[in-house]
Formats: sequence, structure tokens, C-alpha cells
Amino acid sequence: MGSWAKPFTVAVPDADLELLHKKLELATFPDELQDAGWDYGAPLADIKRLTAYWKDSFDWRKAEKAINELPQFTTDIEVDGFGSLNIHFVHQKSKVENAIPLLFVHGWPGQFLEVRKLLPILTAGSPDHPSFHVVAPSLPGFGFSEAPNKPGFGGFQYAEVVNKLMLSLGYDEYAYQGGDMGHIVGVYATNAYGNRHIKAWHTNMPLYRAPTLFSNPLLFLEMLTTPFNKRMQEQLAPAQRFQTKGRGYFLLQSTKPQTLGYSLADSPVGLLAWIYEKLYESVDNYPFTEDEVLEWISIHWFSRAGPAASPRMYYGLTSGNERELFDGTRWTSTPLGVAFFPGEPARLPKSWVHTIGKVVFQSEHDAGGHFAAFEQPAKLAGDLRKMFGKGGPVYGIVPGKDGYA
Amino acid sequence: MAADKAGAEQPFTISIPQAELDLLRQKLVLIRFPDEIEGAGWDYGVPLEDTRRLIAHWKDAFDWRAAEADINLLPMFTRDIAIEGFGTLNIHYIHKRSEIAKAIPLLFVHGWPGHFLEVRKLLPLLTAGSPDHPSFHVVAVSLPGFGFSETPKKPGFAGRQYAELVNKLMLSLGYDEYVYQGGDWGHAVGAHLATHFGHRNLKAWHSNMPLSDKPKLFSHPIAFIRNLFPHDKTTREGLQVTAEFLSKGCGYMTEQKTKPQTLGYSLADSPVGLLAWIYEKLVTWTDSYPWTDDEVLEWVSIYWFSRAGPAASIRIYYEMMGGGSKDRLSGTKWTSIPLGLSYFPREHWRLPKSWGATLGKVVMRSQHDKGGHFAAFEQPEALADDVRKMFAKGGPAYGVVAGKDGYA
Repeated sequence: MGSWAKPFTVAVPDADLELLHKKLELATFPDELQDAGWDYGAPLADIKRLTAYWKDSFDWRKAEKAINELPQFTTDIEVDGFGSLNIHFVHQKSKVENAIPLLFVHGWPGQFLEVRKLLPILTAGSPDHPSFHVVAPSLPGFGFSEAPNKPGFGGFQYAEVVNKLMLSLGYDEYAYQGGDMGHIVGVYATNAYGNRHIKAWHTNMPLYRAPTLFSNPLLFLEMLTTPFNKRMQEQLAPAQRFQTKGRGYFLLQSTKPQTLGYSLADSPVGLLAWIYEKLYESVDNYPFTEDEVLEWISIHWFSRAGPAASPRMYYGLTSGNERELFDGTRWTSTPLGVAFFPGEPARLPKSWVHTIGKVVFQSEHDAGGHFAAFEQPAKLAGDLRKMFGKGGPVYGIVPGKDGYA
Repeated sequence: MAADKAGAEQPFTISIPQAELDLLRQKLVLIRFPDEIEGAGWDYGVPLEDTRRLIAHWKDAFDWRAAEADINLLPMFTRDIAIEGFGTLNIHYIHKRSEIAKAIPLLFVHGWPGHFLEVRKLLPLLTAGSPDHPSFHVVAVSLPGFGFSETPKKPGFAGRQYAELVNKLMLSLGYDEYVYQGGDWGHAVGAHLATHFGHRNLKAWHSNMPLSDKPKLFSHPIAFIRNLFPHDKTTREGLQVTAEFLSKGCGYMTEQKTKPQTLGYSLADSPVGLLAWIYEKLVTWTDSYPWTDDEVLEWVSIYWFSRAGPAASIRIYYEMMGGGSKDRLSGTKWTSIPLGLSYFPREHWRLPKSWGATLGKVVMRSQHDKGGHFAAFEQPEALADDVRKMFAKGGPAYGVVAGKDGYA
């Protein structure tokens, strides 16, 4: 399992801050086509504005201090075949002793702070809704967790890390919430630990494989009608857009993350643009402040393993684009809750959601995008409360921990 | 200036301001390297060991001024070219004439991450006069956004515009009729050039990257039928290589054809980012070419010091491929001007030879056992030989340019 968790505070060395500032001073920008807007990628005006703010106004030490108000820890987790990885995580307990242990897993280019706004809501105690003990790790290679340094760290390894983390905290049975890579890790985790350790799980980015004739004949037949089925076309349009216009980063990170990594590790402007593009494109008109963007980017810039490490997750999950994301996983009966947010770019036909797992809860929201926990924490927390609360589909699913006093 | 005119030619020498060299050096001193997966080799991209070595060389040993002085021995020029809807672009090119007055005018067009200097080793070979082979007057352009050419300011500069630009350049040099050699984007530009100016100005073309569509039954029945039969072992292996390239080697292309601006921030700001981005192709696309550190750094420096900056060059992918929605030969058509194709074994596009018929009237095919994507740089003698054979007395495209057969 692992050693006892040690308390952790973020403390970026002065030398690292100085280097960042020296680089920002020397930043050189590309040109841009007239009226390009967002067509070619992140606009020059945005990146220049954010770079100037980063250089002259953003106060990292102030942000760091606020982050350190969160209860953070590190612990060593043994991963079969990979040795020990020191894992950073937030662990906020509720005052309600029998609160439901909940594992929250971020994605890329996300990070552990996506849990921040959820914490006070989820850990709050009340007779009207369940309470949770929340654990939010930095995935290996992200935030202040170590990165695996051997090849072959794939879906089941990420799942092993987060499961062992929960077990090391005494949470033998727990609930899971994730979007983006958090959803993908959730698929692997429920495959490996579903029902036994993970009693139920929730996702705000339900991604799944297309139905096949043999797995889901009715859905498959419906899919075939797409050329003459407007509703199907509308539901498949986001996936089509991704295929045509959105998968550059995905393919690159799945195949040549090291080549890309030199840029991301060396250029703060390059890293800023690379991530900001995703932040902007994936949210539902979320009014990011400069401080919010730069804090987010800074977590990647100052990450323990450096910004080149996290993109390797794509290579690891696909074995360098030799396999599909979900190869090796199957449908599980672990109860699943799904939230549909209107701004989520990764959307597939809703009818296919049952191909992931045993869907016991669905919600449809009128606002919010990909970074649901960050954009719409109340809505996401509300879903979890409904799903796990008295009268909900998985009430009491973690024995002895129903979330109420 | 009228749309059909080009400006006056100005001699050109590269003279990078000292401030730019100083800034580069300041950045090199501050480079922050990533870590690397143990035993990664080339699996994840450029190995850390290579990058560290090259950066150290760039910082402490590579002499840009010496390289610059050497490049300036080449006959280089600039002139303004007007492109319909895009104003004028100041275009940089090499123009080396043969001593043979009736040498064949030849336009050489590079690709990405190539540049005008890819013609360097070909120049003495192609311009040499001999009773045994034809001679050429060689023009090697820096495509807009590359080298020391300006870059278009507005969206939409695509196949038709590239064709118009290079054609106008040749016309401005007094070459109403000429032939062409290209690979990579040079191949695609050649196809667009043949489509718009074939016969009238472009009399024949040669490509060392024969990328084409599959033959269709109604347009190319013979090639179509040939393509139905099981391919021989070499062809099957070639298709396998191409498939591998498409699944594992196309990340850069997918990003550049959809989000060049986002990527461009890295390439413009980080010398190591740019170095790795280009060096990966220099190694993986060549046939074990024994790159010296100086060769690599001179190559990357052309990008770093380019007039429009390194981010401009990658936009060619977006513009030519419709932001990800179409392929690069879209808008081209088959023409009957003679086409020569050279097949180099380490080129990553290795399609069945029967597919070449969809590009144009193939009059010559030559297969090599050495060389890769950057044929002019890796195998200049072999490539020059192919071009000479195509236009030689008795060759399939002899005398295509009226009054200029390449002989004394």
C-alpha cells in the first residue's frame, strides 16, 4: 500500500519564480492573420494580454498562500511494475463522521484545484442532503505528484494509483467522480475495482465507444440511419467537429509528447497558449479572470514533473496511438450517474450512455461546459447529493457511510 | 503596381541584426529542459540527449555569422510580387544561371520543414554544362512565410495563390516557359501550378514525393484495374509504412492544419521547442543522413531568423488543407504536361506506383535504393540525375521549353 500521508504545502522556490519572470521578459510573439479570431487557435491579443498580466500583475505567492489553505498531503503509492510514486492530494473531511468517501479525479489540461469550489458544498453537513469526505489527487505527472518514468503506464495503472490512495486513507469502499481523463480513469477503475471498492460513480463527460451490431444492435441500427436522421446528425456533430478540427493536440500527445514537451517546458507563453485554448473552447462562456487563467497555467508550469509530463498520459492510454482509449475495458454493473452539460464539447448521442455502465442517474443542465466542477460546482454537487441522498438511486451504497449525521 | 506586374529585382544578402543573435543567446542560456521516460529512444519524440547536445552546440559553438557569410555566396534576390486579393508580397529567391545560354529554366520549390537552401547541393550539378546532359537555369524560391519571403496577411492564401506567385516570379525573370522540381509542399504546389499554368507556362514537372489519390475507375481505368490486383511485397511494405506514418507520424500535421496559431506561440518563443519540432523530421524522414550539429543548427536557424518568424510557415497546412477539412490536392486536376516521379526508399508517403497516374502524364519513374524525404539534400546526385534524364536528348521531356533544350 503506502506510507502514511505527510502534510504538504506548495512552496515554489524563488529561483523558479525568477526564471519564469526572466522568460516572460524575453517573450517573443508570432504574427497573426487579419481577422483570424479563434479560427487558427488562441488569438494574439489574448495571449499578449495574459502574458503581460503574468509578468507584471499576477501574484503567485498570494495564489500559493490561498492554495495552501486546502488540506494537502503526499503519500507513496506502489504501482505494480513501476515502483513507488509520490502522490499529492487534497483530503478534506466532512464534520459528518459517516460522510461518503468520494474520490474526485481531474483531467487534462485540468488539475487538482478543479475540486476547490466543490469542497465546501460536498463536505457540508445537513439533514437535507448527504455529506462527503473528499479526496482529490493530482494524477501522476500532474500538479505535485511524481510522474511515472518507465514506458507502459496506462489506464489500469492510473486506476491502481487512485484506488490504492483511497485504500491507504482507510476508504475501502468509496464513490468516484470525474470528467475528461477523470472519466477515462473511472472506466478503468470501475473495471478493476467496481463494486468491490468503487460502489458507485458519476461522470460529467460520458464518453463511450460506438455501439456495434453485437454489443447494442438497436443503437447500432439507429446509428446507421444517421445519413437521413437529422437528430442523429445533430447529436454526432460535436464528435464530427472534433474529428475535423479538434484532435491535433490529442494525436500529437498520443504519439510525440516528448517533441511537444520541449516547447511546453521551456516557453511559458507556449504553455499558456496550449492550455488556454482548451480552457476557452471547452467552457460554457465561463468568465475567466486573468488570475484564474494564470493560476491554472502556473500549476502546470510549476508542476513537480514539469509541463512535458502530463501530455504523456495520452501516449500511455493509447500505447502511442496503437490502441483505442477504452480497449481492454468492458461494461460494468457499478451504478453510474451521468450529467449532461450543454457546453461539453465531447458529446455523443445520449442513447449510447448505457453502453458505459449501469446508468442509475441522469441529469441535464442548462448551463456549464467541460470543466463542470469549476464552472458549475453547485449543479455538479447537486447531482451527487441527489444521486447519493436519501431516496436517491444509490443511497447507502457505501455500507455504514450514508452521508448523514 | 498592376496585378500582372512584379517589382524590380533587388540583390539580397542575409544580415541578421546583432540584437536578434543576442536575444537568441539569452533564451538559450535560460532553457528549461523536460525530463524523459527511461529508455525512450525515439519512441516519444526527440531524445533528450540529442536536444541537450544540440542546444549546447547552438549556444557555445555554432557560428551563425560564418554560416550566413557562406549562404551569402549564393546569388540571392528579392522582388515584390502582386497576388490578386493579397496585395504584394516581397519574395526571396536564389537565381543561378548556367553558362549555357539555352539552359532550361527550372523552378525548385521546397516544403515544410524545408527551405530554399535545400537546392544548394543541386545548384552546381543542375547548372553544369556538358554535351552529355542538359543544363538548367535554377530559381529556388522561399515560399511565402518561409525563409526571407514575406508572409500573406489575410486568410485564404492557398493552392491557386501559391501557383500564381511562383509563376509570376518565373515570368518576372523572363522565363515564360519553364520546368519544375519539388517535394513535400513543393509537390502540392507543383500540382496546383500544373492545374492553373500547365502548358501555357509550366511545360513539365518532376516530384520526389509522389503523393496522390487512389485511381478511380472512370478517370483512370487502367491504373484502377492495376490497383485492384494484389500488390507486390515492396508495395505492400510501402503501404504499411504510409499507414504507420498516418497513425503515428501525423500529430504535427493535424495540429498545423487546425491550430497553427496555438502551436506558433511555442515555435516563436522557444528555440529548443523549434529545434525539437524540426529536428524530429530531419532525422525520422531521412535515410540515416549523417547530420552534423552545424547542419542541423543552420537549418533551424533559417527558421528561427526567418523574416516572418517560424509560426508563419506552418500556416501553409491550414490554408492548403482548408483548416482540416480538405486534402492538399483538392482543386488540382490531371494535366497532360510531362511528369517525372522519383521514388526514394525512406520517403514516408509510399503509395503504389499505379497511383501516380492520377497526378499527371507520368513519363518517367525512377526508383532509388537510398534516400528519404529531403532528396535534394540527401541524394543530390541521384535527384539531379533523374532531372537530367527526364530532359536529356532522347529523354521523355526533351525540348519541352521552346528554344531552350539545355545544350550549347
